[in-house]
Order: sequence, then C-alpha cells, then structure tokens
Amino acid sequence: MKLFEHQAKELFQEAGIPIPEGKLVSSVSGLDGVAEEVGLPCAIKAQVLQGGRGKAGLIQLASTGDEVRAKSEQILGRLEDGHGLLVEQALDIDKELYLSITPEPVSGSALIMASAEGGVDIEEVAQHTPEKIIKEHVDISEGLLPFQARSVMFGLGLKWSGVKQGSTMLLNLYNLFQKYDAELVEINPLVITQQGDLVAADGKITIDDDALPRQERFSLSRDFFESDIAYEASQEGIPYLKFDGDIGLLCAGAGLTNVVYDLINYGGGSVDSYVEFGGPNYRKAAKALELMMKTEPKVVLVVTFGTIARADVIAEDLVEAIKRLDPDFPIVTAIRGTGEEKVRDLLGEVGLEPLEDTEEAVEKAIELAGSAKR
Amino acid sequence: MSVIIDSTTRVLVQGATGQEGRFWTKHMIELGTNVVAGVTPGKEGEDIEGAPVFNTVRRATEEFPADASLLFVPPGFAKDAIYEALDAGIKTVVVLAEGIPVHDALRIRRAARSAGAMVIGGNTSGVISTGEAMMGFFPYWIERVYRPGRIGVMTRSGSLTNEITAEIVKSGFGTSSLVGIGGDAVPLTRFAEVLPLFEEDPETDGVVIIGELGGTMEEEVAEAIEDGTFTKPLVASMGGRTAPKGTKMGHAGAIITAGKGTVEDKVAALEGAGALVADRPSEVGELLQSVLSKVG
Repeated sequence: MKLFEHQAKELFQEAGIPIPEGKLVSSVSGLDGVAEEVGLPCAIKAQVLQGGRGKAGLIQLASTGDEVRAKSEQILGRLEDGHGLLVEQALDIDKELYLSITPEPVSGSALIMASAEGGVDIEEVAQHTPEKIIKEHVDISEGLLPFQARSVMFGLGLKWSGVKQGSTMLLNLYNLFQKYDAELVEINPLVITQQGDLVAADGKITIDDDALPRQERFSLSRDFFESDIAYEASQEGIPYLKFDGDIGLLCAGAGLTNVVYDLINYGGGSVDSYVEFGGPNYRKAAKALELMMKTEPKVVLVVTFGTIARADVIAEDLVEAIKRLDPDFPIVTAIRGTGEEKVRDLLGEVGLEPLEDTEEAVEKAIELAGSAKR
Repeated sequence: MSVIIDSTTRVLVQGATGQEGRFWTKHMIELGTNVVAGVTPGKEGEDIEGAPVFNTVRRATEEFPADASLLFVPPGFAKDAIYEALDAGIKTVVVLAEGIPVHDALRIRRAARSAGAMVIGGNTSGVISTGEAMMGFFPYWIERVYRPGRIGVMTRSGSLTNEITAEIVKSGFGTSSLVGIGGDAVPLTRFAEVLPLFEEDPETDGVVIIGELGGTMEEEVAEAIEDGTFTKPLVASMGGRTAPKGTKMGHAGAIITAGKGTVEDKVAALEGAGALVADRPSEVGELLQSVLSKVG
C-alpha cells in the first residue's frame, strides 16, 4: 500500500522529521488564505499516487497569492475525487540529497541507500553511477545504530552540523520503517536549505500489504485503486490486474500466469485482465467470474495446474458459477492437477471442453479472441 | 539420499488439524512420508491419520523427535510457529503460507541462520522426493506429472511446477527431488542456497530451475555456475518475459524494480554462465534431451 505524500509527511512530522510548512486542500473553497498561512512562494502538489507528477504538470510553483489560487484551481479541476492538493512553502534549496530504507532479501537486513545526487530518478543513478550511492545494511533485530547513521551522513559529505541533523533524521526514518512494516521509506529530495537545515521536501512510504492486518492505522480505501473492479477484487483478497487487450486470464498460480501471459503475447494475442484464482482463492470461482464479467474480455482463458488449488473443486465451483451467471463470452479451460480426473464430467455439464495442454488452450483463446465481434 | 527429505525423515506437521492440513497430511502419509506427530494449540489428544496431535512443538518432540516440520499455519502466525520449531531444535522447516509480512521474513531468515537451520518458503507448494516422501501439496500421484528420475527441480511457483514436471516426464525423464523456494518477495531460502545440495546429490544428474521476473535469485544461480560451485547441467524456465514493467505479476517477488530483475537480465546471466534457458514450458524437455542423452 503506497501512501499519499501528505500521509507520509504526517508520519514524518510525528517522527520528528522536518517537513515544509504546508496545508492539505481538498476543494476550491479551502484555498482561502492558504498562501498567507504557509508562506510564499508556494509549491502546489497534487496528491495522486502516480509517479512523474512534475512532468505531468501536477506539481507547480507559484509566487503570488493569485497565482497559488489560479494554479491550484487548475490542478484541482484535473483531479477526480481523491486526496486533493498539498500546498507547501517552497524551500530555499542549496542541495538535494536522496535517502531511503528498503528490505534487502539476500542478506535478510534493512538496506539504507543515500546519495548526494538527489531530486532525480535514483534508478538512473543506481544504474549508471552506482558509486554515487552509499549503502548501509542494518541488522533488523538490532535496529539502526547511531554510528551507522553518522557514517551514512559523513559519506554524503555533510559538515558536522549537517551530520547531526541528518543522522537524527535517519534514525527517525528507520523507526517509521520498522513501526509501519514499510517496504519503502524514501525522502527524495532531502533538501539542504540555504540556511543549512535538512528538510524532507517529498515523502514516499509503501506499507507491506501482507502486514496490513496488523497495521490498523491504514487501510486500503477506494482512493488507492484505479477502478471499482480493482477495489472490489482487493476487498475479496483476489489479486487483479487490468491490461488493454482481449483475453481475460482466470489463472491459478502467479508463476503459471506469467508463462501464459508470455505465450499469449508470443502468439500474437493480448491480455485484457488477470484474476488470480489459485492459492487461498481457489474456492472463489463465482466471485472471480463476476469480476471477469465486469472487465468485459472477449474470451476468458482458465488455466490451472493446481497443487493445493484442487482441479475438482475449481471445476465444480466454476460450473455452478457459469450456470448462475451465464457469462456471454466464450471460455477456454485447461484445468489440471489435484483431482483432475473429475474435471471432464463436471465441465461437460455446461458444454466446456477441458483441454490438457496449456499451449493448445492459449492458441484456442487467441483464435476465439480474433473472431469475437465485440 | 534425497535432497531435504526422504522416507526416513521424521516429519512434524504444525497446523495439521485444519481442512487443508488434514487433506494433505493424508496424502503425504500415503506417499510414504514418515509423519510422526502434529501440533495445533488446543487440540492435544486428537490425531491426524493416526499421528498424535500435541499443543506445542516442545511437547511433541519430547515424545517424537522430529527432523523436519511442515507448517500449515496462516501467514500472520508463521513467524511464531517457525520460531517454535527452531526453539525445539528442528533444522528443516517448510512453510507453505502465502504472504508472510516482509519484516517477519527478514527476521526469520536471520533466526534460521543463527540456528543453523534451513527454513523453506513461504508461498511454496513444498518439497518432494519423488516416489518417496513429501512435505507440502504436490499431486505426486498423477503419473504424467510426477515420475521418479534423476532431474532435480527448484521452483518459485506451484502450478507452473506441475506444468514443467509434466514436460520433463513427457520428454522421457523423471524427477529426483523438488524444492519449492516459493513466490514471496523475501524467500526464506534462496535458489543458490539449495543448489549445493543438488550438486552433492548422487541421485541428481541435472537441475531444472523454474524462475520468473523479479529479484536476483536466478542471477545468483548463474554466479554459482560461473564460480564452479555448481557443475551439473542446468536448464531454466523463465516466465514473465513480456510482463509490463512495474506490475506485480501475482507473486510478491515478481516485480521489476530499480532496473534489475528483468527476464532479459536473468537470461543473459544464465546463458552467459552456460545454462540453457527455455522460453516456454515445452522447450524444457527438448533442452534436457540436448544435455542429458541418457534418459533417467
């Protein structure tokens, strides 16, 4: 779960990490007096989860009160419902740094990454000039130790006063990482102002979805999803992805789905959506089919080769769901694995032909998608 | 001698009394797995297919020493259950749960290392020594999918494993041992950590790895081949070549970030080290035939 910038900054503030003066504005009426309150010039920042806000014109600078109002209204007009705008006092920037903490699966530690080249796409820096990134591994059972925080900050070339501020900031950031089960906490840019103060100009926090049951402060509301269907799927615990093509994939098992997705593309077909039907979801055929009907694919391809996701249970539930929901798209099935000997008879009830070979099923689906009228 | 388990391995099942636990414990025993006891807090006195159920791992292992433990517990309880097994001195733990919180996984990985234990999973279908023993839920009885042979398999997926092992059987080979590494973002044991077991296993002539986009596990395998740690023929099936960047393709671990972890990166690393890479499942059999002429 990616937090909105204003949510990340609220956590920063609670943790003692300096952020710019700012105010969250959700509608035009909330703009009165904002510029005076936060101080000019202002940065106006749309609260959306997509990246590249600057390029998309969703972050703008304004130097007068009128400009703040005009630009804010313009951005608000472009946003559908959501989290509105963050209007902040623009910082007097001397230098921009980068700072983040993520889990590091190989060593089983937390990884701090810092760079004196902040404000830009850090992936670019990592790829082309990896020597400009300072890395520090943290033993997650010990937590971040002050000497480690200091050495990161010295590594960035900061003076002693900056090192003191920066290491306190990093220790506080680590506390957030740990407390909120974060997959990412990132400050980019971390600004050094002309006055020599360190301020988090932006903030990104991603909370591990698998930890949400114990992170009661945050829950995934509709705002966090691109569509009603995606939200509905999430409420049901069903992984769902939407693409732009023809074939709806109702697959059990992400690994198999990746391969089927490739095979469809190799064969010249295209994928409309993916509803995960395996693991703990294999008893949710009806719900999965309902979701499929809402995404309106030309053809649905059901591919499973279940281990725990039993073929007999899947086939039985699917047949029941088809009888009840009567979908108007053709369905191609390759349902195999545990209990597969019962599949043929079950699917026969609704006139489905169980295929045994994944590649054959993929070809069939591509063919049907090509000839479908919709 | 098989990899991880064989028919003599004394297996404990934690969370054995649930619906899936019962269904699969029965299958495991039918295959020949030596299930000695089950553990479910509050269910002591029940039995699972004749194996007694205890309240705690300590109580179970006092009466029935165990070499390995299989966990049918939900992801939020996995860390506690794994620590309980490690505390009782169990050195091999297989955890099937999907979606163990990442911070828990990091801690478990460290704890396993300090205990000198191997914790395998999560989000795995388990471990099987074909025709001998299983901890997990592979449909070992379907003959066109599982036949004893001399190919070792390591995998990040369950359903795709069946797809690939069916191709292995179709091409005239069979499998020795299968190790499900699992599909989570932080696998508790990595491909490269299991690879030495296959290298030493006299029953394994070659290894198939079932990889996918995301992470760096396949690159680590390539390194092991390059530095001479692993010397047997290796065929990799790589899914996710056409996956859109930045999309989490179902498995938490299957996401491309920070310009690494793409299938292209992995294929280049593996092929550079001398491994063979299949674009699609049906190629796995052909590639095996090209490096291992003797069927087995």
